[in-house]
Amino acid sequence: MLAEKYADKIAKIRSKYPDLRSTVMPLLYIAQEEYGGLDESSLREVAELCDLDPTEVKTIAGFYTMYWENDEKGYKKGKYWLQVCTDLPCALRGADQFFEQLLDHLGVEDGGTTEDGMFTVEHVMCLAACDKAPMLQCNFHFLENLDMEKMKAKIEEWRAEAKERENG
Amino acid sequence: MPDKVEFVTIFIDGEAYQVPKGANLVDVAKFYADNDIPVFCYHPKMSPVGMCRMCLVELGNSVDRQTNDIKYNADGKPEVMWFPKLQTACTTTVTHGMAVRTDTPKVTDARDDVIEFILTSHPLDCPICDKGGECPLQNLTMRHGAGVSRFDFDNKLHLDKHVPLGELIYLDRERCIQCARCTRFCDEVVGDPVLGFHERGRSLQIVTLSDPPFDTYFSGNTTDICPVGALTTADFRFGARPWELNEVPSLDPYGPEGANISLSTRLDRDSGGVTIIKRVMPRQNEYVNEIWISDKTRFGHHHSRAENRLSKPMVRREDGTLETVSWNEALNTIAEVLKKSAGSVGAVAGPMVSNEDLWELRQLVELTGGSKLGIWPATMTGAEAVAQVGVGTGTNFKDMGKGTTIVVVASDLEEEAPIWFLRTKQARDRGAKLMLLTARPTKLDKYAACILRHHHGETLNAVNNLIGAVLSSDGFTFEESRAEGFDTVKKAKYKGDEAGYDEAAKMITGAENVVVLVGHEGLTLAQHGDVMQSAANLLILTGHVGKPNNGLIPVWPGANTQGALDLGFSAEATADALSQSVVIVAGADPVGTDPAAKAFIASADFVIALSMFDTATTAIAKVILPRQSVPERDGTFTNGERRVQRFYTAQGLIGDTRPDWKVFSQLSNLIDPAVKVRLSAAAVMAEITKNVPRYAEMSYKNLARMEKQFPDVGGDDLYYGGTAYGNHGGLGVQWPVDAEAAGKKLTLKAVKSEKTAKRKGLVAVPVRRLYDRSPEFSASQMMHQRIPSAYAQLSRKDAEKLKVVEGDDITLVFGDGKVRVTAKVDGSTPEGVVLVPVNLTDNPVPTAPMAVEVEK
Repeated sequence: MLAEKYADKIAKIRSKYPDLRSTVMPLLYIAQEEYGGLDESSLREVAELCDLDPTEVKTIAGFYTMYWENDEKGYKKGKYWLQVCTDLPCALRGADQFFEQLLDHLGVEDGGTTEDGMFTVEHVMCLAACDKAPMLQCNFHFLENLDMEKMKAKIEEWRAEAKERENG
Repeated sequence: MPDKVEFVTIFIDGEAYQVPKGANLVDVAKFYADNDIPVFCYHPKMSPVGMCRMCLVELGNSVDRQTNDIKYNADGKPEVMWFPKLQTACTTTVTHGMAVRTDTPKVTDARDDVIEFILTSHPLDCPICDKGGECPLQNLTMRHGAGVSRFDFDNKLHLDKHVPLGELIYLDRERCIQCARCTRFCDEVVGDPVLGFHERGRSLQIVTLSDPPFDTYFSGNTTDICPVGALTTADFRFGARPWELNEVPSLDPYGPEGANISLSTRLDRDSGGVTIIKRVMPRQNEYVNEIWISDKTRFGHHHSRAENRLSKPMVRREDGTLETVSWNEALNTIAEVLKKSAGSVGAVAGPMVSNEDLWELRQLVELTGGSKLGIWPATMTGAEAVAQVGVGTGTNFKDMGKGTTIVVVASDLEEEAPIWFLRTKQARDRGAKLMLLTARPTKLDKYAACILRHHHGETLNAVNNLIGAVLSSDGFTFEESRAEGFDTVKKAKYKGDEAGYDEAAKMITGAENVVVLVGHEGLTLAQHGDVMQSAANLLILTGHVGKPNNGLIPVWPGANTQGALDLGFSAEATADALSQSVVIVAGADPVGTDPAAKAFIASADFVIALSMFDTATTAIAKVILPRQSVPERDGTFTNGERRVQRFYTAQGLIGDTRPDWKVFSQLSNLIDPAVKVRLSAAAVMAEITKNVPRYAEMSYKNLARMEKQFPDVGGDDLYYGGTAYGNHGGLGVQWPVDAEAAGKKLTLKAVKSEKTAKRKGLVAVPVRRLYDRSPEFSASQMMHQRIPSAYAQLSRKDAEKLKVVEGDDITLVFGDGKVRVTAKVDGSTPEGVVLVPVNLTDNPVPTAPMAVEVEK
């Protein structure tokens, strides 16, 4: 349960806002990280923590694209959520080819998750880093001035990281 | 609208109008200028959001900035400086000198475009849509639509058409135009945010995650205010076309609020070619229910055509078998018995028995020499307190806001009177303060400014202590001219220093208006009478009586309890009435709903039951007469605010039934041929107006009187208020209380506080749930999933002691009665108390608090 596992974090978030209602978004991020996406039970859990109706929490999760809802997508989010900007300025710098290559490399479709549950790749609208394209956002952190070489290395790095975590 | 309104001059399409400053432009244009500005998302009962853009108008200003006067040109027309772009009327409040143009090509073009935009992905399934014929979008498309689409049909987005939002309401995703009326209604008006928008743009859809889905008592109202056919009720879905329906004004038969409804009826082939109700819609009465009704009111009507309705008179023969007989035989049998009864005749009337029935019943009982007239359920009393200080005539929750304090005593308002719950909550949203004197948390707690929690059964002391705190508060003076008996209050020596009560007292003394709603949870009948009296004392002492929005509102158990009290019936007489040798029970099931009643009625030789259904009472009756349901007949009910209102005949007769007043009148005639048989309900009411001073004004003509209401809903422009129906049945008339009569002195009768007995063992406290298993409601199959199964609620501590966990089957033993229920354990139940909902169990549970043993 989030309340026990993230007691400190939740207390810290709560101290920042005047009421419980306002803590819903940061708590949704915690739930999303913990459960690899949001599903009905996690929405209910967050609702309980924020003293909201679960419906209200669901509408927030639905409105913002940075929340991943398993129930809507039909599958879980990967551990690494790669959001590649393919808007026009980025495309001029080759972002669309980069995106295609990345999909090929990982063997997924746009919006899909790799079979090992490691990566989810999707194209997104402007991330406000046009000058550093091709770029992507991985779990809300920017990686900029990318090409496939760099990307492959990064992917290996992440895989190694995950393996390490698994082993110990 | 409040009295102190500043009026300003505005110009709508060149005409000058005097309108209240700060009012909404859409409302004003409609009410004052009869100019219907089209809207989808705006609704006069909700705050504006400006989402649909349908209400675009040209706005301008004619005020000279220096002088703040309106500038006129040579021909007396205002000189208007028009703003360059169109603006949404729904988000505009009127100001001095504002000018509006609603009929220019610029405006019309903009509206045409909005309609075209909305139609880009709206399906063309009007021929099968329930809303077709009364659809705001359809109507506005006729006015603003292009006639030919510039889009391919194939390009339309096709989405799910049968999404159940719970079992009562269905969502058609394609039809939704995202106006957010339904979600705002749930959130803003009701306070149950159980509907929400999910995702955005074209993928937006309405979702609910509550358990059960769409968990509110008011879900049906969303279908009325939906401007398209996106939300439809399971009840009316594909049931009929709106233009085939007749609208008949009627009343909610269940609650004390007296909600006005409109029964949509038509001749129905599938029902054997009789006129039946196809749906129930709210009927606008701004004094009573505005345009809202609860789901119980909306979906409960199926009881009137239930298959197990009694349809023929029956007489029990010597050997105990029931035989169907003619009305003549049944009535003659009863008349013979009544003639020989030697005055030992009692009558008990249920909560759905109309004033006309009650009057004729009283005449009959008195004709036989009897005098015992009881009501059922016999849980509440206080006719005297109401007659003194009931809420002032003209009271309207809608006018309550800042300066008003609403006090709720011993009631779970949401369950007992949902419309009052809704309006109390809205008054609080407008700035009224809510004070609760309740024994356990209810849904109102989150809105309350002050909660005076006390043990079940100790409500009287809580009210008395509040009086004590009022008396000892700073600057409290009592004008002796107001009422007699102030010394009795002083002598009663109420505690004035209980913690928290001084704040509460300030909320009462400092308020301009005070309304007290009194329920009976945890109280015996005698205790309830005392609480009513004490609440009346509180109001008299602080002078909150005799004017609108001040006074007492009892949360009566039924739709016409007030009427019964007005016509000489009382809860105190019920036990006596049931113990007479001949007992007439009309529209009630005492045997099946209270073990105590069973004991009383056991001594009766001859029970006459007028009932719609087979009940435990009809099982012991010697003669059973079929009753008519409300939609089959006409009559009047008096609501908890003493408003007498009419209901009209809507539906074809089921079986061979007669209205109760006719039955009683015919019986009177059989006993004494000098007594004339009344020929209509109106004729009975004419008798009442002659003989009951309070009802002198209640002729059917007066009750049917109408006045223009704000907002003006129910016209052709359905887009404005939704499909709530305009009122053609009358607004009803309230009878004035003593406090309103000039020169009439009120009486304070102090009630001594009770010594609080040491609490031993568990006490079963009967509670009312909105959805119960009474046959008048549970005959609606569609509601079955919403009716809770028989349960009893225990506190955590008691449950631990008894080693009971949530979901266990337990047996409650009271005296010699036993009930098997499922245990619910939660933190809201006070210790030492078992909350037992009435009308949910197969065996009756006591209707008054009683010691109980819990067995596993």
